Amino acid sequence: MKTTTRVMFVLALVAVGTGLTGCATVQPWERGRLAKSCMQFSPDPALTAFAGHWQESREGAAGGLGLQGGGCGCK
Amino acid sequence: MGSDCRAAGVAASNRWTALVGGAVAAWAVVAAIFAVNGTRSLAQAPEAQTLGVQIHTFVDSRGVTVLSPTVDLGRDFTDRTGLRVGFGVDAITAASDSCARCHAEGATNTREFVNASILKTYGDTKVTLGGEYSHENFYQATTVSTSISRTLNQANTTVAGGYAFSWNRPQLHPDEIVENQGAHSAYATLTQTLSKSTVVQVGYELGSILGYQSNPYLRTSVDGVKMVGVHPDARLRHALTARLRQALPADMYLEADFRRYSDDWDVNANTWSVGLSHEFDPRVTLSGIYRRHGQQGAYFYQPSYTGSPEFYTADFRLFPFDSSLYTGRLMITPKDGLMMFRPGTSLVLQYEFYKSTTNFEAGIFTLGLRLPLKHP
Repeated sequence: MKTTTRVMFVLALVAVGTGLTGCATVQPWERGRLAKSCMQFSPDPALTAFAGHWQESREGAAGGLGLQGGGCGCK
Repeated sequence: MGSDCRAAGVAASNRWTALVGGAVAAWAVVAAIFAVNGTRSLAQAPEAQTLGVQIHTFVDSRGVTVLSPTVDLGRDFTDRTGLRVGFGVDAITAASDSCARCHAEGATNTREFVNASILKTYGDTKVTLGGEYSHENFYQATTVSTSISRTLNQANTTVAGGYAFSWNRPQLHPDEIVENQGAHSAYATLTQTLSKSTVVQVGYELGSILGYQSNPYLRTSVDGVKMVGVHPDARLRHALTARLRQALPADMYLEADFRRYSDDWDVNANTWSVGLSHEFDPRVTLSGIYRRHGQQGAYFYQPSYTGSPEFYTADFRLFPFDSSLYTGRLMITPKDGLMMFRPGTSLVLQYEFYKSTTNFEAGIFTLGLRLPLKHP
């Protein structure tokens, strides 16, 4: 992705994000379904960490968020 | 000349050690302040503890088997201070691509890791400090990390960010030479509740890796001679993410994620996934997820090389390829606990099948148990 395209994309995301923040105010007593584990972005951090570890050992685009690579055995 | 190289290597190593030592020391001081601050309020509220145990089994088409048991313990000293510690092992049997060249009968390896993090809550703001150390044959890694998040707009908006630094030390086995690599990574996310049934998240990740980045074990053909790959020693990585969670009628839930990745090695990738979950009962949830990954190869990738290329690689992670991942997951939280374990105990069973266009396939099975040890 070229730098200008990337910058434009980030700016678009920021604009969308800024717009989204004004969308709705869901009250605490209306959050029943939002609290379900299926609605979480990382409901089980241990599963997420393991997936990140093995995917980083197979895909050049994976990892990067503090995940540690492996040596001989994994690759 | 050899001694000059060795002296230069030692000097570089000392610089790395000083740099990383300073960073780790600074982090340790900050962590200690957090820890002391946390223990001051130990008696202010009852404690809560959870124990998580997971066993992962990874079997692939090369004949490699990895058994990975992990344990994590979470303890909330108060409603504002928590500690998480984890430990795990990768027990690797048979020969991977890297090992098969020299060890046709297979080579075993183990990787152990230990990590810890402290969580502090200040009103609507949460701050974490953490670290991880891992060790295996011919590879060591040390990571320190921190993150911060804040909820806004009556908890309908969450902004979060984080930073991590990893110091990785591969040994160029069978040589004794140890190389250094430093990896900085940072991220920022915005999570927004759109309605009673919709949540979205957008994010940006930035990473910079400096130092040795070649794979010392995989070889490619250069003018007909098998050579260990040579990669650039700097890499800048970017990723943009967009994620959706949508509650549907009939106790169904939809998840959809997209990630656009690019770096200055020209490894550009699109990864998307979509999944459906059904809650049969508040205590039984079944999920199915499909993930598709497609990436373009690094600019210096070629199946084989001629002439005198500056960079060349045999690392399959830098090849162009597509992959599919199929995941099935069952999560059970029995009403009265599980066997001798108390109510609140949850069990997860997960199977994943991974297949890529590089003729690589893997099956991954996970069995996990999460136990509440102490209730507030």
